[in-house]
Amino acid sequence: MNAAAARGALGGLLLVVLWEAVVRLAEVPPWILPPPSGILATTWTVRAALLDAGAMTLFEATLGYALGAALGLVLAMLLALATPVRRLVLPMVVVVNSVPVAAYAPLALLWFGTGALSKVIMVAFIVGFTVFLNALDGLLRVDPAAAALLRSFGAGPFGVLWRLRVPSALPALLVGLRVSTVRSMIVAIVTEMLGSQKGLGWTIFEAVLQIDFVRVWAAILVASLISLGFFAGVSAVERRVVFWR
Amino acid sequence: MRALGRLLLPLLLLAALWEGAVALLHISPFYLPPLRQVLGAVHALWPAYGQAFMVTLGEAVVGFIAGGLVGVVSAAAFHHARWLRDMLFPLFVASQTVPVIAFGAIIVLWFGNTLLAKAAIAFYLTFFPVTVNALAGIEAVDPRQIALLRSFGASRRDIWWKLLLPSALPRIFTALRLSAGLALAGAIVGEWFGASVGVGAMLLAALFNEQVVAMWAAILTAAAVGGAIFGVVALVEARLVFWRDEL
Repeated sequence: MNAAAARGALGGLLLVVLWEAVVRLAEVPPWILPPPSGILATTWTVRAALLDAGAMTLFEATLGYALGAALGLVLAMLLALATPVRRLVLPMVVVVNSVPVAAYAPLALLWFGTGALSKVIMVAFIVGFTVFLNALDGLLRVDPAAAALLRSFGAGPFGVLWRLRVPSALPALLVGLRVSTVRSMIVAIVTEMLGSQKGLGWTIFEAVLQIDFVRVWAAILVASLISLGFFAGVSAVERRVVFWR
Repeated sequence: MRALGRLLLPLLLLAALWEGAVALLHISPFYLPPLRQVLGAVHALWPAYGQAFMVTLGEAVVGFIAGGLVGVVSAAAFHHARWLRDMLFPLFVASQTVPVIAFGAIIVLWFGNTLLAKAAIAFYLTFFPVTVNALAGIEAVDPRQIALLRSFGASRRDIWWKLLLPSALPRIFTALRLSAGLALAGAIVGEWFGASVGVGAMLLAALFNEQVVAMWAAILTAAAVGGAIFGVVALVEARLVFWRDEL
């Protein structure tokens, strides 16, 4: 382990120790701030329910993620080819995207019900936008000289797209894909809190209603761990695909 | 004038597309009511929408400014003290995987149903992008420039105010423009935990009453708040980073 990682671990450890000490010494009531040990204990006690809820949220997040990433990528490639349409459409996309997703969540619930569908669509919506904007930026930011060279060898617009634009857009695209992992979990949870019968967002909402704040913290812990896992998984895939970084 | 045109054109196009699509494709008002109707609803209940606009704007701006300041200060501290950066930066990263919405209830419990509670959530979402970008901007400064200034007898403070901060400004503003939307999202979500006024509260009320027109009106109000913050940031950026176009 190198020095930076050691200091990072020390920082995390210090935070947990400080948190535990402050809560115990100042006798903070658990509904204001439970100690880390209390959160871990509660997480362990209700682990079956939390895992069940976490699996539901992860299912919605990953399904929406896959749909949104595919849609965003295809749209970005289409618009990279069609310059006039892009000039017209892109500013409108930016306007629609400037409203926080949270504001669209009630609409999704009203249209698609309180089941998994509304969450999958919300996640696909946010991931689609993020991937679309990142991929388009990467697809368009190529060396014009390289594009001219390929064209002089007789490559058509598709040839330039496939041989030049897609490979050079990969790093930007993968940044979008990585950022989207955490966002997809957050959006799934946000939408679940507004209306659902299952999932971590529902667990949190229910725990708040029952004034069981330690369970809220336990659900937050599980949600963060799942987010981290999802993020790490996508990063591992990224290292394999963009091996030349 | 041209900048205004670039701003207005997509808005007008979008409005025309909205009205046109609803009329031509016979879209059910359950999905998309005509824009006229939505604007009419805003007009009819103007004081309420105006108040929601101001309240949410205030919450988002307080969190946004706090996030921006903390972001720049942390970046400066991380730049000067390597050990601090190694210790805290991983925590900053980890903090962003925590679904802040889940914290909403707890933060409202801590601060009560006040402006501060929503501003805290907006802050939580904004400080991280600013930290990352400001740090990247500071680190990108050529060490020879620092050495040159130092050879002229510049103090640490001089180097910070005259070289490091100005060099990092373009990246800081990139982060601030991104954070404008995040701060608004934080304020809206914060209002879901029992607030009675604000854009988020309006969205929730519209959801419970299943009023699609009111929901779209609230979405437009949210867009107006986001546009206002974004516009001010862009204006300040144009004045402060006047050399941007030369980059």
